[in-house]
Amino acid sequence: MTTLRFKTVLLTGVLAPVALVFSGCQTTNDVRVVDSKGPQALVTSGINSQDWANAADQLVGSLISSGALDKAPSQPAVMAVDRILNNTQLNIDTDLLIKKIRVALTQTGKVAISNTMGLGEHAVVASEASEMDEMMTGKKAKVITPYFTLYAKLIQQRDAINGVTQNTYTFQMSLVNVKTGLTVWEEEREIAKQSKKSTVGW
Amino acid sequence: MKPASRFLSVGLLAAGALLAFSGCATNVNTVERAQPLATPDYVSDKRVVTDNTLARKIRVNSVNQATVSGNLLKVQATLENLKDDARTIRYKFEWIDQSGMSVGSPNETWKVITILGRDTATISTVSINPRAVDFILKLSE
Repeated sequence: MTTLRFKTVLLTGVLAPVALVFSGCQTTNDVRVVDSKGPQALVTSGINSQDWANAADQLVGSLISSGALDKAPSQPAVMAVDRILNNTQLNIDTDLLIKKIRVALTQTGKVAISNTMGLGEHAVVASEASEMDEMMTGKKAKVITPYFTLYAKLIQQRDAINGVTQNTYTFQMSLVNVKTGLTVWEEEREIAKQSKKSTVGW
Repeated sequence: MKPASRFLSVGLLAAGALLAFSGCATNVNTVERAQPLATPDYVSDKRVVTDNTLARKIRVNSVNQATVSGNLLKVQATLENLKDDARTIRYKFEWIDQSGMSVGSPNETWKVITILGRDTATISTVSINPRAVDFILKLSE
């Protein structure tokens, strides 16, 4: 009787974890939805969604705090987005940074971004509509000249020592007064990523 | 092994370990003006601690605010690492408008900061929405 009870306990103790393990393996779909700006977002050696948001937040915070935008003769200050140089090894769409900055600046109500010049988003339909309006009314559409231009540059520096590689990404941004050609605000932010090469060869 | 020899061995091991670990400390010494000229607008804050371990490592010393560009709220918190070694934590600011509704920002994200041993660091952010009047600072390990 005691032996039977022992066997039952032993079988239950062994089979239950095995059953649990195998039932866990039945889930073949490992895809899950995560918050792209949350702690579950993947940390890579490249620039991830959190890095873009972080850089944009810091650059916008610096620009707003500087008071440079308040010096425009009219509010909101009209701005055109100039060149965005990507000098990193990454094949990235610079809109990942610029769009976030555009959205943030527009939401402040302090900036209106021109779509008729610069390398920002070109509003093709708006441009065609403007041309049509000119043709129909015979009046030249009034294009507001930007008071500021914004340009940026992304730089990557790669350092490696003792199997540890560090990629330092630098986000540089400048605001230029088009009337004077003077830079009225500049900022530089860095994000450094270290990765260690795996010692296992597979 | 005699009790005296065992005691000596344990003592030597402990001393060695202490020396080794003291070498890893990254404490920071600071010097500042005795009578600061700055007059920060400190915010009276309410704290909710759900992670006592984190609270024992990192303390929020103060929170101060300022208005920038006419109507945008800027908040700065001073954090202190209460431990001797460097600590990395995550933080996030969230904004709330006059009616208590959350004011989302496209760039509202968890950020990472590393504070050296016994050092202080400031974290700050600017609300991009003029409607923001209140904030929540979240800290996580």
